[in-house]
Amino acid sequence: MDTYNEKGMTKSQWLFHTHEGRIDLRNGILAVVIAVIGLFPIYWMLQLSFKSDQETFGKIITYFPHQFSVSPWLQNLQDKAFLSSLKNSFINGFLTMAITIILGVPAAYGMGRYKVKGRNAFLLTFLVTQMLPASLMLTPMYLIFNKLHLLGTYFAPPIAIASAAIPFAVITLRPYFKSVPVSLDEAARVDGCTAIRSFFSVMVPAVKTGIITIVVISFLNGWNDLVFSMTFNVKENMRPLTANIYKFKNKYGTKWNCIMAYGSILVIPVIIMFVFLQKYIVGGMTAGAVKE
Amino acid sequence: MGNTPKKMKSVSQKQTREGYAFILPAFIYLLVVVGYPIVYNFVLSFKDLNVQNFKLGTSKFVGFQNYAEILTDPKFQLIFRNTIIFTVVCLVFQFSVGFLLAIFFSKKFTLAGPVRGLLLIGYMMPMSVTGLLGQNIFSNTGLVNDLLSKIGIAGPEWLVNTHTALIAVIIMNCWVGIPFNMLLLISGLTGISPEIYESSALDGATKFQQFRYMTLPLMKSSIAATLMLGFIYTFRAFDLMYIMTSGGPLNSTDVLGTYSYELSFTQFQFSKGSTVAIILFICLFIVGLFYLRLLMKEDEE
Repeated sequence: MDTYNEKGMTKSQWLFHTHEGRIDLRNGILAVVIAVIGLFPIYWMLQLSFKSDQETFGKIITYFPHQFSVSPWLQNLQDKAFLSSLKNSFINGFLTMAITIILGVPAAYGMGRYKVKGRNAFLLTFLVTQMLPASLMLTPMYLIFNKLHLLGTYFAPPIAIASAAIPFAVITLRPYFKSVPVSLDEAARVDGCTAIRSFFSVMVPAVKTGIITIVVISFLNGWNDLVFSMTFNVKENMRPLTANIYKFKNKYGTKWNCIMAYGSILVIPVIIMFVFLQKYIVGGMTAGAVKE
Repeated sequence: MGNTPKKMKSVSQKQTREGYAFILPAFIYLLVVVGYPIVYNFVLSFKDLNVQNFKLGTSKFVGFQNYAEILTDPKFQLIFRNTIIFTVVCLVFQFSVGFLLAIFFSKKFTLAGPVRGLLLIGYMMPMSVTGLLGQNIFSNTGLVNDLLSKIGIAGPEWLVNTHTALIAVIIMNCWVGIPFNMLLLISGLTGISPEIYESSALDGATKFQQFRYMTLPLMKSSIAATLMLGFIYTFRAFDLMYIMTSGGPLNSTDVLGTYSYELSFTQFQFSKGSTVAIILFICLFIVGLFYLRLLMKEDEE
């Protein structure tokens, strides 16, 4: 990429005075324009969340806060019900992640490394499960969880959410494990490692980038979930932020600045993860869906 | 030498046992958590379980009665139509815009990677927040009508009008679907070797000819996978409508996912809800089969 270094130029000399540089500049400008349009709804949400009540209810619609106010954020963050929902969102994310990692990573390794009988049947099961609509599992799971006294516990939603996150983990990680040379695994075995030890000390570190993808995506699966959480957590104080949106909307009425601060707080983890980890995630996300 | 096959067999048996030990926990989990509910759902759709007989346990089998009642219900027919319109319009827009963006962002330039990543935030954020945002953007004093008024158009009451509510929901869904389509198509495009383009350019092929006769045929399986996956994710939509419009006004944005939920958990007609879920499942299954065939074929190669 750094062709300007090879030619002994500064970046700006390269951008403005060479043919490739000008093309790069033109594409860059177009990309920024696309990003501004594509991300405008997120900007819209953020700017609304920093408006004073007065400006929110004003007749004129403004495109940035003229009176910058953090009060909408504070109103959320100082609310006990909000904080407990926030905690529930984290619990939902972490439990989903835990179940997915514990079951999904070994299965992906088994599918990528071993030629076991019925491999295609397993793969088919994982692929089909990933496609199922939540509606199909909702009613029977509700009735089963009711019998098992799991309704209204922190475990019910993650158990259901992980059923889609595990197949995704297996399908995404399998090509990663496949690409690790078998000799690496065998060398560890010769050195006296058991299958399990070699899995943890050799194979898992070798597919680190794939695992980061799964950690992030499975956490977000739990964090983003709406339908399982609101159905299985009948009590509002057990519900995560997503499932309590209506409750807070009723409380805030048309105070859109507070509602948008609520939404912004839900989006922040997504933004943070993408800014820091996008390099890993973007490649990992498509690995299983379409052949590269 | 005589015992080599035996030794090999025992090695492969050990291999198989190890393999199963890694795979089976996840597989059994899915059988219990997903397989059993699906079977249960089928059974429920042939019974008459509702809130009255739920506690008493006196529900009984009614054959295809639920299916007959639902399929002939005008409300269901409207909702089925909504689901089809929603899915088809979303697919057309998100695929074509996503493809254009994929072609652009698969070029190598300094900002390609970072901007591509940023665009995915819309796809990765909670759909319920997208719904919340949609409610605000399409409200009377929202962004869309303000922009329209700037060019002299009086916007409709998007979410109150039965003719426009579905359009608003479709636009919000496309906002999420475009980056998703872009992501899948980029990975297909980057698989095409640049040499093919270079040699055809020497032969005097135009950009359009390259796209028509080289990119499209080489992208065939990638395009098919993207469309089928897009269909599956769009057809089963729930969160967006549930938060943005609650399926209203007058069921104009109700889709199979929200209707099944409403039957089971608002009206507590569990069997009716299960029946709608099965109909939704059958539609996905038909398209899913093509997707699976494509993936399994590629896996063998």
